[in-house]
Amino acid sequence: MAANNNILKIGLAQIDGRLGDVEHNAGRHLEWIARAREAGVDLLVFPELSLTGYRLLHLTPRVALPLGSPVLTRLAEAAGPMRVVLGFVEEGERGVLHNSAVLLAGGGPVHVHRKLYLPTYGIFQEDRFFGAGRRLETLPLPWGTAGLLICEDLWHPELARRLTVAGTKLLIVVSAAPGRIGPGAMPESQESWEALTRSTALLNTCWVLYCNRVGWEEGSFYPGASHIVRPGGEIADRAPLLEEHLLVAEIDLRDSDRLRWRLPLLDDERFDIKGPEDSEGPSA
Amino acid sequence: MIRREQVRARLRLNAPLAEAVLTSFIRDAVETSGTAGVVVGLSGGVDSSLSAALAARALGPERVHGFLLPYRTSSPESERDARAVAGHLGIPHRAIEISPMVDAYFALEPDAGADRRGNKMARERMTILFDQAKKLDALVLGTSNKTEILLGYSTIFGDNASSLNPLGDLYKCQIWELSRHLGLPPEVIDKAPSADLWPGQTDEGELGFSYELADEVLYLLFDLGLRPEEVAERGYEERVVQRIVALEQRFRFKRRLMLIARLSGSAVNLDQEIPRD
Repeated sequence: MAANNNILKIGLAQIDGRLGDVEHNAGRHLEWIARAREAGVDLLVFPELSLTGYRLLHLTPRVALPLGSPVLTRLAEAAGPMRVVLGFVEEGERGVLHNSAVLLAGGGPVHVHRKLYLPTYGIFQEDRFFGAGRRLETLPLPWGTAGLLICEDLWHPELARRLTVAGTKLLIVVSAAPGRIGPGAMPESQESWEALTRSTALLNTCWVLYCNRVGWEEGSFYPGASHIVRPGGEIADRAPLLEEHLLVAEIDLRDSDRLRWRLPLLDDERFDIKGPEDSEGPSA
Repeated sequence: MIRREQVRARLRLNAPLAEAVLTSFIRDAVETSGTAGVVVGLSGGVDSSLSAALAARALGPERVHGFLLPYRTSSPESERDARAVAGHLGIPHRAIEISPMVDAYFALEPDAGADRRGNKMARERMTILFDQAKKLDALVLGTSNKTEILLGYSTIFGDNASSLNPLGDLYKCQIWELSRHLGLPPEVIDKAPSADLWPGQTDEGELGFSYELADEVLYLLFDLGLRPEEVAERGYEERVVQRIVALEQRFRFKRRLMLIARLSGSAVNLDQEIPRD
């Protein structure tokens, strides 16, 4: 761990996966965990549903794991002192399946985020196979308060706002976002994502880590291009398109505070403003 | 509001990026299937040439097997161009004439017209490609583009049958753009597209409108979601718009599960599950 307790080395593991094969994917996680530990990473982030693959459809129940699964314990133990965020299908207490991201630390799971917004339009069918999460919580990390969102969650900006109002300086976004290309230099899908990650960082004056996967599933590709956004909205570093890659960078969470002293957007935030939803107009 | 003169620019493609994505698609499909490579029917036209070129870049030319499958009335220029493309790409290739198999059948059906004979030729080629794929431990590489798929301009289980299709989410103008980027011979890119099922046949002659026009109208209808009358309001001839809409509706039954490389937000069967009736 770095000397200053606000500075940490993060790693974004932009990997491919084998759809529906947890054993194989867990083995690949072990390889990338070893690689990240060798690079001195403090916090390693894998993409959405990294243990299972994304487009599971009717395979979803077959690959679900409870939070106490030995698969997660094995990965947590391999991580040693490093923190790891990874994605999996969680079998919840009532048998409901969730698209979840878990933080592993000290040999086991310490925090789980269940995806709150399940896209069910276009090629997406998540609401058919998953139950939506019901809780938004901050994530305790030794370097400061963080937040964890999954893909579509970022398209509903009140979540990032609520997390940052609660003290989040580092927002981790894990994704399995398919690519679309057009005339531009970057995939069109990537332009949208970077507009979101950059404006989220700027409006909330926090760091944003965005980890997307690579590879193909059922004719649909994932472009990768995982990236790190500074609290001011600039992209600090970006992984390549289409290739597996470990993006490693050192970040200082105090940069978020430093910007907030100059740009007190969160401090100015008002929750007492009456809005159109408060008036007694015609309701939808 | 999109104007007619802006549509062409929207259909432009970042060709190097499309090449990178589509070569990774072919590599991934071949690796996942555990096969040794691909087979592709070479017609001498731009679609099959582009598919073969992408596969040669993805897998190395030695793992791409080209087949020239002429009928006795096929144009000699088609075979010449197909050989030129195979030579240009450095892929192994072989000609198998389909006249004996097709003629043997039509000896029993002497009254069949040109359309039935053309369909039979397309399906004869397909059965040979799948047999060669079995022999060579390979996948059959598709060559149908998005314009053809939406218009239903293909023979069902003939030229539209394949194991993987890198071109299925590319409009014809994007096929041309990507082919130029990959340096395919200009005579292959510039010649009038033809199924070559009977002498003098051209796609655009048979369809009654140009591919350039079809691409723009289909883009407005399917990628942007305009209604037919809203397309016509932008200066497209109403008769052509109606014909395109009618073809798309009439031939929906030809769309079957096929592995399309999704490039846009409007891939057929993925983003758009359109009911058949």
